[in-house]
This record gives sequence, C-alpha cells and structure tokens, in this order.
Amino acid sequence: MTSLIYRGCEFPAEYFYDVDRDVWVRRDDDGCVTMGMTDPAQAQCGKFVHVRFKAVGRSLQRGQSAATIESAKWVGPFPTPLSGEIIATNEAQYKLDILSANKDPYGAGWLIRLKPNRLAEEWPLLLAHDPAFERYREKITERNLQCYRCAD
Amino acid sequence: MSFRVIDAGMVDWLDSQVIYHAVASAMREASEDTLTLVHPDIPYACIGYHQELEKEVDLEYCAAHGLPITRRQVGGGAVYLDKNQLFWHIIVHRSRAPYRIEDIYSRFLAGPVNALRAMGIPAEHRPVNDIQVAGRKIGGTGAATIGEAIVVVGSLIFDFDYELMAHVLKVPSEKFRDKVYQSLREYLTTIRRELGADAPTWEEGKRILIDQIGESLGQPMHFGELSARERREMAEWRKTLMSKEWLYQTGGLHHHGVKIAESVHVREAAYKARGGLLRATIRVREHTLDDVTLSGDFFIYPQESIGPLEQALIGAPLHEKEVRERITAFWQEQQIQSPGMTPDDVASVVMLAAHE
Repeated sequence: MTSLIYRGCEFPAEYFYDVDRDVWVRRDDDGCVTMGMTDPAQAQCGKFVHVRFKAVGRSLQRGQSAATIESAKWVGPFPTPLSGEIIATNEAQYKLDILSANKDPYGAGWLIRLKPNRLAEEWPLLLAHDPAFERYREKITERNLQCYRCAD
Repeated sequence: MSFRVIDAGMVDWLDSQVIYHAVASAMREASEDTLTLVHPDIPYACIGYHQELEKEVDLEYCAAHGLPITRRQVGGGAVYLDKNQLFWHIIVHRSRAPYRIEDIYSRFLAGPVNALRAMGIPAEHRPVNDIQVAGRKIGGTGAATIGEAIVVVGSLIFDFDYELMAHVLKVPSEKFRDKVYQSLREYLTTIRRELGADAPTWEEGKRILIDQIGESLGQPMHFGELSARERREMAEWRKTLMSKEWLYQTGGLHHHGVKIAESVHVREAAYKARGGLLRATIRVREHTLDDVTLSGDFFIYPQESIGPLEQALIGAPLHEKEVRERITAFWQEQQIQSPGMTPDDVASVVMLAAHE
C-alpha cells in the first residue's frame, strides 16, 4: 500500500475520501465498498471505548450514521458518504480489539461494508487520493493537527 | 456572529435532556451557536450513550423513589440530576468548533471555569474534561457530535445529594455503595460547600456563567427563543428518549467500578482463598491506594487486625510487589494467623480490584 504522510497522518493512495466527513472508501471487486475513519479522524477522537454498529441489512442515505463511536471523552456518528445497504460490519474485530481504528484505521480498523445504490450519482462527490491529500494538508495545517497511532 | 442564550429555567425533567439534543439536531451552518440553560423539575438518573441500563442503575431503587431514567447521546457514566444543578449546554456548528476533542474542551470549558473563579472558587480545567477545585471535582462535562453540531454539556453544582447519587448506581455490594458515598463526599464539591453563605444566588450564578462564557468566546450574547424547527425536533427527541428501544439498548459498554473524578475510581473484586471468600473494595487515586476495605467470610487473629491492615495499605502504589510486601510485613509484625488465607491472597484480591 503506498501512502502519503503529512504530520503523522497517513493517506493510502488507492482509497477515495470524503474530507468533510473524514471517511475513506475502498471499492471492492464485488461492487461493494468498504469504509472507515481516516487517520486524522481517529487521532481527533482519541482512543475508542465502544462502537455500536447499525444492523446489517439496514439501508442508509448518504450522510446518515452507520455506527456510533464513543471515545474516552466524546460520542459521535460515523457518517456514510454513500447511500446503500449495510452488508457487513467489523464488529467482531472491534470486540477483539476496541483500538483497531486507533492502530490501523485503513486496515483492521475498517467499520462497515456497504452495497451502494446511488453510486453513479454519489461516487463523483468523493475525492481521489491526490486532491484529497491536498485538502487534508490544508485542513491539518489550519487546525494544527498531528496524528498518532496507538501502539500494541 | 453573536451567541444565542436560551434560558429555559426549570423544565420538565425529560426536557432538560431533550433541549440540547433538539437544538443540535436542528443546527445548520447558518444557525446561531447557542447556550441552553436548564434545571429539571424533579430528580432523575441519566446513563451514558453506550451504557447498559440494567448494569449501571439500581432500577428497583429508582422505581421505589419515583426517579425516572433516561439515556443521553453523550458518553460517560450514570449520573444523578436535580434542580440544584444548573445544566449548561454549549451547541456550536462543527465548522466553528476546534477539530481536536482536547481543544473543544479547552475552548468551551474556559467560560464555566472562569464563572466559578468569578464567584470566588479557585477552579481549574483538569484535562481532558474535569473542572476541579483543590483536587475535587466541581463539575463533570461531556462532548458529542449530534447532527452537524458539536455539543459540550456540563453543570454548575450549587448543591448535591450525595446519598441519592450513591443509591442510584448499581453497585456490587453495600460496602461498595458506602465507599462510593464517602468518595463522592470527599472528591465532589459544590458551590455552596466551597462558599457557604457567600455563595451567589441561583440567578446571580446564572448571570455570571452567561457573562463568562460570552467573554471567553469573545462573542456578544443575547437571549433568544427556540425556533419552530427546534420545537419540532424537541417533540421527536421526547419520543426517542422515552422509548424502550432507546433506553434498553444492549450490548453496550459497561464501566467497571465507579469513576468519582478524573483519576479517582472506586472498584471491587472478590477472590476465593482456601479459607473463604475475600472481598476488597478500594479507592484508587492517581495509581495509589487511597482507601481499602477488606471483608468476607475468612478468619483472622487477632480479630481487630483488619482495620490496621487496611490502614497499612493506604498510600501504596498500585504495583503488585509493593502491595504484597506491605501485607507480608504487616503479617510478620502483627503475628497474624489466618487459616486458609495468606498475604498473597490479600495481595491478589486487592490487585484484582485494581484491575477491574
């Protein structure tokens, strides 16, 4: 996986991003998508203490919450940047290790898989790696952010 | 842009939660950032977003005493709320809030901390989100993202019913409850406890809070009303917060022990030694044993040595080796006899509780 890194925040090249919602998206071979929190997002919210996932089979509109995350000092939604049906969640991994997103946000820490139903219309709203990285550089500089990962 | 203040005064207990959920849900980028102020008409209990009701709250006690219960979309533990606490909620659009949680707390807790100082209480923000005075908590706070808004909530505690709070919580034993009660008294203070007769009146305290929040944010404050959209959101949130589905969500987070303040926790564990069941109820402060109660169905001679043994452990750093050495030394000095219970057993139960 090739990535660009700015102030400790990693952005893998092959992913797409919703910079405002701080979500990464990967298109899988079966036409579905996998998504999770970006590195700045996990650094912002701090160590996870709990995740409650919406049920598999649930249909979501773009912007709706697919999971609710509680870190030590904050509760917030994980908004989906694409409309569709949840076909899998990563609940089992988070049961094994609640810090999965804090350790590996783009790998083991993925949150949900979705079968998109408005892809043609919504996919162009996501940014490919290079323009997303430029936006993130601005955002990280402006907000004076530094990313940290939890160690094992 | 100015900051709107909605001083709702004393409200129906449920609305004291509903109001900030509703203002947050209705918020858009063009909306005004808002401070809401409320206090509930009757006492109630409220659990954190990811908690399991039956594991956190003594449902029987609450039912017997007419205390309603709800869940908030903010994290943290179960709390007891009543009309002697002035609840403030700062609701700002996410585009106007700092990005990092620590920075959100730093910016929005400055006003409440300065308000306490203006009253004559040397309060300080103890990161991440406690407000403390001389090591005691004087206000708990929490933060959440609800819709497009960042919400920071907290309270000015004029008076606090320590006993009721200790009863509302589901605890493993009455000894544990006593410890929670004592710890709350020791580590949670109030405006009236700090200032006595010099405490401001309710209205004065509220005015100071509004002024200091405005000043810390550098924004003019003005009083306003809820919009029609916010009122519609309130109607929706009332239904949500009262629904069984919302209240009884399961598979959630269980906080082991009870957090009294930042770095102060009460915990308990039981351990089956050869000579009987041994239970330790401990209070941990800054990784040190701050208080210890040992109980169970074991035998120990001399019988009155349990108290001094508990005393000998107070101040011990929470390292198994240190705890074990203190107990072993006590055993030798006092020539303790306890069939079926060794210093290692006592060290084990204390460390088990510490890791609960």
